Amino acid sequence: MAHDWQPDFEQLVDAHQSMVFSLALRMTGDRGLAEEIAQDVFVELDRNLARIENADHACFWLRRVAMNRSADALRRRRVRGIDLWVEMEDVHGVPAEDRASPLGARLEQLLATLPEPQRAALVLRYQEDLTPEEIAATLEAPVATVKSHLQRGLKLLRAKAATHLKEYIRGI
Amino acid sequence: MEFEPMDDFERELSQAFERRPAPPGLKRRLRERGLLDGRRKSPVRRPFVSWQLLAASVALMAVLSGTLEWRYTEQLRKEEAARQEVLTALRITSHALNQMNARLAARHRAAAQD
Repeated sequence: MAHDWQPDFEQLVDAHQSMVFSLALRMTGDRGLAEEIAQDVFVELDRNLARIENADHACFWLRRVAMNRSADALRRRRVRGIDLWVEMEDVHGVPAEDRASPLGARLEQLLATLPEPQRAALVLRYQEDLTPEEIAATLEAPVATVKSHLQRGLKLLRAKAATHLKEYIRGI
Repeated sequence: MEFEPMDDFERELSQAFERRPAPPGLKRRLRERGLLDGRRKSPVRRPFVSWQLLAASVALMAVLSGTLEWRYTEQLRKEEAARQEVLTALRITSHALNQMNARLAARHRAAAQD
């Protein structure tokens, strides 16, 4: 049936480009690749604009497609045998205001060492502030699986942070 | 994992994982692909099945079913007419045979009396 909501593509890009880029960046660890993924996601949005029902649906759709495209890119990289997360520390050419804080950068490096499903769950939980149910819907996975990934990922990240980032973080 | 309040470490994670600004090149590249010309709106959304299409389909179905029904009725009427004609022919034949039979019987009786 018809929707009253009339999406404006440029407004959607303005509103969500940071989210899409950040998800891709934290999943792949490669700024260039993340920008390519973000571009592909918005091109796909443009093609599917008529199916978007409202603002919340647009946000949900963009998150899901960004995560799927990031997973596809990681899979392609694995097939080619390219080591990811080599560029996370390479901040040359990145504006200072776009760089993560020292702690943020270290946490992102530790996040990169986690298995992909745990990384995906943690990024959606702590970047996007989603509930396990929302994460499950985004990743099209069972809620119990997502909860397990969150628990294990957080435990692993906490253990790694206790070893490597003791000077930064309280309450590990 | 129930939704318990975040501990210090989780709060640190939330702060560390704030969204990063997208690079300006992203919008530029989208603009170069003609996706950001300032006038783009979503296409006028049409219902998956419009009322006009639905009404036309219903009307077409009604005409088709009416035609089929009429043809079926007409076929039955023709069959009934043909059956009646055959029955009439059989009745006439039967009547003629009965008359012939009666005459033959009368002749036999006359011949027997002679």
